[in-house]
Amino acid sequence: MTTLDQLKNTFFDECSEALQQIEGGLTDIRQGNGSDDTINAVFRSVHSVKGGAGIFGFDSLVGFAHVFETVLDAMRDGTLAPSPDIVDVLLPANDVLTDLISMSRAGEAIPADYGHESRAALERLLGKTEGDDHDGGDPAPADFEGLDFMPVMADQMDDMAGGPADGKQTYRIAFQPQPEMLRRGSEPLSIIRELQKLGTLTLTAETGKIPPLNEIEHDRPYVTWTGTLATEASREQIEEIFEFVAECEVEIALDQPVAPEPAPMPVAFAAPPAAEPPVASLPVHQAPSVAPVAPTPSIEPAEAAARPAVQKAAATTMRVEVEKIDRVVNMVGELVIAQAMLGQIVHNLPEDTSSRLTQILDEVIHHTRELKDSVMSMRAQAIGAVFQRMPRLVRELATKTGKKVQLEMHGENTEVDRSIIERLGDPLTHIIRNSIDHGIESPAARAAAGKNEEGTICLSAEHRGGRIVVEVRDDGGGIDPDRVLKKAREKGLVSPDAVLTEDEINNLIFMPGFSTAETISDISGRGVGMDVVRRNIQDVGGRITIKSERGRGMTLQLALPLTLAVMDGMVIKVSHETYVLPMSAIVECLRPSRSDIHNLVGGRGLLQLRGNLVPVVHLSDLLDMGVDNSESDERVVIIADAGDGTRLGIIVDELLGHQQVVVKSMEESYGAVPGVAGATILGNGRVALILDVEKLSELAVTQSYSFTGGRSRASEPALAS
Amino acid sequence: MPIAAALKVLVVDDQNSVRQMTRITLEQIGVRHIHEAENGVQAMDTASTQPLDLIISDYNMPEMDGMELLRSVRGHPAARRIPFILVTGRGDRELVVKAAQAGANNYVVKPFTADILKTKIEQVVGRLS
Repeated sequence: MTTLDQLKNTFFDECSEALQQIEGGLTDIRQGNGSDDTINAVFRSVHSVKGGAGIFGFDSLVGFAHVFETVLDAMRDGTLAPSPDIVDVLLPANDVLTDLISMSRAGEAIPADYGHESRAALERLLGKTEGDDHDGGDPAPADFEGLDFMPVMADQMDDMAGGPADGKQTYRIAFQPQPEMLRRGSEPLSIIRELQKLGTLTLTAETGKIPPLNEIEHDRPYVTWTGTLATEASREQIEEIFEFVAECEVEIALDQPVAPEPAPMPVAFAAPPAAEPPVASLPVHQAPSVAPVAPTPSIEPAEAAARPAVQKAAATTMRVEVEKIDRVVNMVGELVIAQAMLGQIVHNLPEDTSSRLTQILDEVIHHTRELKDSVMSMRAQAIGAVFQRMPRLVRELATKTGKKVQLEMHGENTEVDRSIIERLGDPLTHIIRNSIDHGIESPAARAAAGKNEEGTICLSAEHRGGRIVVEVRDDGGGIDPDRVLKKAREKGLVSPDAVLTEDEINNLIFMPGFSTAETISDISGRGVGMDVVRRNIQDVGGRITIKSERGRGMTLQLALPLTLAVMDGMVIKVSHETYVLPMSAIVECLRPSRSDIHNLVGGRGLLQLRGNLVPVVHLSDLLDMGVDNSESDERVVIIADAGDGTRLGIIVDELLGHQQVVVKSMEESYGAVPGVAGATILGNGRVALILDVEKLSELAVTQSYSFTGGRSRASEPALAS
Repeated sequence: MPIAAALKVLVVDDQNSVRQMTRITLEQIGVRHIHEAENGVQAMDTASTQPLDLIISDYNMPEMDGMELLRSVRGHPAARRIPFILVTGRGDRELVVKAAQAGANNYVVKPFTADILKTKIEQVVGRLS
């Protein structure tokens, strides 16, 4: 990739940010939340797109952005009052701009009249008629006629800002080399030479402390230096010179003029006292220059004090390559593993040696956790990045289908790991397509049903119980169970005599090969069904649930993990095997008495838990480990949440402890194994499988359905290694 | 005659891509010492601490725009003598007039070629060699 290509990429990335700004700003203005700043920010974003596009030669983009920008400029200076009507022209204009940018990025040829309508609408706002010559398309004039600048040379500019100063300031500098300085090989002369480079230096050697000759130690400096430095350099630059010689006492002060320097013994640039102890006459290498009279403007200290605050504000964000952050994430992962190994070793030490170590290790664990959280938060992005695309989608689809749809969004600032954000766009798009295509009814049908003609889709995101929950709710017709069931039977997805609950019917839409649309529309009929959506969500460790109320709408809920790289896990033991259960799925752990468990056939049972019955199952049974569980006395039950609110009690032999684990994917090597979410490396260096509670819960259900009296379930994968 | 390779130039633009393009253009002219700042505050910091021969600043920037930067530069004792070229968009004639009044030494309209930029720079610092 050439540099130019890279720069173009950078430009297009900047464009994406600008587009988000524009969309967000316009939405705010439309809802009446816009201020002058909002319009300014939108204007600036469009202007940036235009400027960059000009530089990189995307002329169609420049032309359109120019008209767009002109309208915004008119809004900025008050010629055009921001009204919803205007915003309704600007929003589609932003869509066109988005298209032009993506076409430019893809290197596609842009039809000459692309976005013509939008452009015409913009021009109408400006009171132009369509035939008008728009200056946007003209080649850029490089000069404004009749404007001439004087060729101002730097040294002619003194009178421009007024004031006599020549830009130099005088600093008073005093430094005293410490005894260690010479012994460590630093020498004062080099400091003096460096200072001299900055400006006019006048130094005086204080020789009063030089002892009699016979008491002189050759590696001790006895001379202290004071003087002035007239320079354009900043204090920081002066301090830098002294930075490398720690063994030196330095005072640097901005001087009120002390001119001409009363120099009792102006010995400048003397040889280092080390090489020639100061008994020798101090040789003068250069005539001392007179410190220039440089009155220091009094604003300087105030300005210097004000600057750090401003600087702080400017340094709040910076761009870092994702790759670099990913590298840190990986290293944190390795650190977590190494730490676990260390923990194991410490654990096995005799207590008198281990107690102090444990204490320190706890601290390390604490810091690692914080490090992990910080790095993860760096990778996190506001989910708004995905949500931003949706208003446009809704507008387009509403126009196409002739329906009236309003989109509400909540929780755009909820932060989610980048890797999840990247894979959330397609499923969400598809769900919203479906909602508008199949869910929201036509205005007439809605009116007939006594609903508001305008349908509402509500898109929201929030943190809930260690997960991100994204919800798409519409107030459309909901799922028609009869139609779904009929369709499923026709397609042979359900046997004709099966009796299904409404919930089960609703979930049929996730079956591969299911599509209820009578005619395949160009909106949702793209050959991608809800099964793909579900798979996408499951691929990132999420779950999708559906709630539908006939005639009143439906809700699709996506529960996503916060991150994919490191998670909190409970290390458990069953028979000789060690597994990890995600902490996020664990509700509680308990050791029930025998009488609390009502045994059913096949090692299954029901646990009486605070008045409720929770199904319990031996993990060894579930994983088909072939262990005899008949003497299940000292067992621990982990109450797990399968994600949809259903509880499952999992019986294990032992809880080994809570630990952060690094998730290593096994799919590449072994494909997806039901019930296994991944693997991790434990402190003892051994590999443990991370279990997928949701899948286990499904296994528990299907296994009990297919239970035939023995423990022969050949169809289920054997997970015990 | 100033030597291009010895010129110390500060490029100010909030858009990284544009900044880099300006850098490349300057390098084509032969400029070797190029500082960058992505906003007025950073620019002021550089201008007040580094020896500079020229500032080329975009106008359209968040927080502190090019005009505000120009005024701060002209008001700063250590930076006020640094020549200043304002980068503007098309049709910003009024702005250029204002910039001239505020002490800008020249302007250049985006997008610009290396030749245009060189001419503008030479008008300010003298013919480059």
